[in-house]
Amino acid sequence: MTTLLSTALAFLIAYAIYVAALSRHVEGRPEDFLDAGRSLPSWAYIFAGAGVVAASLGLHDHLLLTARYGLQSSHVAVGLIVVALASVLIQKRLWLAARITGSRTAGDLMGIYFDSIAIRLWLLGVLFLFSVPVIAYLLAETGGLMATASAEAMPARLVIWVAAFFLFLFSAVGGWRAVIYVTATLSLLLLILIAFTGTFAGVTFESLAFVARGIDVGDGILADQIPGVIQFSQGIGKGSAHGGIWTTIAILSFSLSMIGVVLSPGFGLLGITTSTRKAFAFNQVWVLGGLLAGLLLIVVPIIAAEMKSAAGADFAGIVSRLASLDQFAAIGFLLLVLSASLIGIAFFAASGASIVTIEVMKRFILPELTGRGQKLAARIALAVIYLAAATIASVTPQGAAIFSSLALSLSAQLLPAFLGLCWLPWISRSAVLTGLILGSIAVLFTEPLGLIFFEGLFVDLPWGRWPLTIHSAAWGLALNLGACFLVSIFTYGGAERDHRQRLHDVLSRDHRIDFGGPAARGAKWSLTLIWAFLALGPGAILGNDFFSQPMFTGGNVALGVPSLLVWQIIFWSLGVLIVWWFAYQSRMSVIVSEPRHSLTLEPALNRLERPATPPWIARLLGRVAGQSTQIVRRD
Amino acid sequence: MQPLNETEALDRHALVMAIWLALGFIAVILFDYGFGAGGIAAIAAGFIAVLAAFAGHVITNAVYASDFTTREVALGLVLYAASLVTLALAALLAPDFASRNFLPLSLGFVAIAAAVIIYMIIRFGLRRSFDAFDVISDFRSRRTRNDTPDGGIR
Repeated sequence: MTTLLSTALAFLIAYAIYVAALSRHVEGRPEDFLDAGRSLPSWAYIFAGAGVVAASLGLHDHLLLTARYGLQSSHVAVGLIVVALASVLIQKRLWLAARITGSRTAGDLMGIYFDSIAIRLWLLGVLFLFSVPVIAYLLAETGGLMATASAEAMPARLVIWVAAFFLFLFSAVGGWRAVIYVTATLSLLLLILIAFTGTFAGVTFESLAFVARGIDVGDGILADQIPGVIQFSQGIGKGSAHGGIWTTIAILSFSLSMIGVVLSPGFGLLGITTSTRKAFAFNQVWVLGGLLAGLLLIVVPIIAAEMKSAAGADFAGIVSRLASLDQFAAIGFLLLVLSASLIGIAFFAASGASIVTIEVMKRFILPELTGRGQKLAARIALAVIYLAAATIASVTPQGAAIFSSLALSLSAQLLPAFLGLCWLPWISRSAVLTGLILGSIAVLFTEPLGLIFFEGLFVDLPWGRWPLTIHSAAWGLALNLGACFLVSIFTYGGAERDHRQRLHDVLSRDHRIDFGGPAARGAKWSLTLIWAFLALGPGAILGNDFFSQPMFTGGNVALGVPSLLVWQIIFWSLGVLIVWWFAYQSRMSVIVSEPRHSLTLEPALNRLERPATPPWIARLLGRVAGQSTQIVRRD
Repeated sequence: MQPLNETEALDRHALVMAIWLALGFIAVILFDYGFGAGGIAAIAAGFIAVLAAFAGHVITNAVYASDFTTREVALGLVLYAASLVTLALAALLAPDFASRNFLPLSLGFVAIAAAVIIYMIIRFGLRRSFDAFDVISDFRSRRTRNDTPDGGIR
């Protein structure tokens, strides 16, 4: 099987390099290498967007967690509806705002909208987490999986470096356009392989474990029930939750953390560089909320039930069972898991390189950088990212896991900033910054990194990771939103507000949203909240027995499948309907008219924000280059 | 039909490749399984995957207001012909393989040919579809052109 797997991967690499070579030929200007000339086609966004969400969720981990915790863990797939809703709220307005102000990245837009370098730096920090630790974690996973599948014929470290080299190679040749083409192709492959693997297993296996005996989880874990609304446990590492950690609050808070994908700088770049007006709604409603969430809900439990082997829940069991039927089917399953990781690696590395070049190199360090210079800078940034990630993945994968756990949660803390940019002009810079600081502290102290540092330096804390079965992102957001709204009360108006209001005036004048009348408006928000309460919130606990032991009947119903699965499928379907309602009916993701660059938000007086080479950098560059460098200012 | 610019042509080409790569891989799995334990059902599913990819290609053409390129047609014909030759050779050289798989494979190839012909009739109409295969009239018209006093140049 090792030979077949290597051949399949070599074919994928050849395909990626071919696409990169083609993309290089259509590159109009050298700087198109960074943003594809902001003309990515709709299909690329539609599939790549879904693939990036799947990669950020961590398909590898999602499968293992479902094998370990059963349907309570796979319930988080319903949370993809929340991700789709967040995307509906943000993506169109971000795209419009970028076009109206002429911004190239989400960080650029945030910086000029809030007139803040701190928020820019924050976004760059989040970008770093996605671009190095997350990639390192995904590379380590890829190496581990390949080593296991080849019975150590391909050592993990070798796989890590080979994968990093070839992914770097095609990204450096083809740039952002090639990366998105390949990401979209892998995403389509991923979606088809999920559906195929589930169907193939269902048709060919003599008896499906999921149907025969359910998911074989460990003792004390509820395989097909949610273990309560909340559990007052100290958190992972300090206390145990009875019946499993995936309470309704854990599921809801985990769903909130997944919003971090949509708010990440890389995903923002994907949206901004898309040319089309049609892609957002289709991606959010049918591919992300519909297809991906549905496949993860229905197919992943079937696969997870087959993953139990003598060694525990791992991939060896299902791979050997598939291989006994057909070698190619086993390769297909491995490619399914690998493609999710490869999508994440290629996408976050390329977006990191592009954004660093645009926001750091071009803006602060070398404002006069030519198009060719930008392309070179992006290639160097790519090399540095891959080198750092591959080194960390091969030397300290545990460190990568610890740092990468912060990425989604810290990215989710940008929610108030995005809400301010897209909808709420009264959210001020100081409110966003206060919220970010408090939210980040809460995240740090409910994730391993903060706990390890604090307990190593000072005293043991009485809580562990995700105390009370609440995800760190939700701890952070609770503090973040509270502080943000409180500070906004006191910083409501003033010149800053006038500055922000200019963008909202253009948006409300030229790009109105059709929420309908007061009744329709109220129905939309109230039904969404009721849906969230029943699908993900405390109401989801009803799904444990709702269909197998209906209330007021006193009898049992033999459904053939767990009641919770039926509940999940019903609320996933309703969720898709809600996303469709907002995206299409309210036109929150449908762009009617093409905006033009009509607003300059660049502050004229702020020295820090001025896109000039800071004097100390100019002097340093002058010494390195051996010539006097003039300080260039764009007034 | 407006010709696609270079970027649009690449967008279309990349989408076509994505569709064929994903569904083609599924077809390979199903054919391999079908030649082994899977039998007729798996082979039929393999052909359904190929037809789905063809349908995806046609939809892509409709979205981009384009047609199959000459290279795509050539590649498709070469692959189809090579597959038919392989099937014929396998039927001659491996009787066991032929006895199990000849009928489903033949039906599959006929189904693909039928799908292409139906597509052409829907896309171009009956007369233009027939003209595409009407080699005799092609020769005749060429000879008529050559018979003109100016050697075919009017």
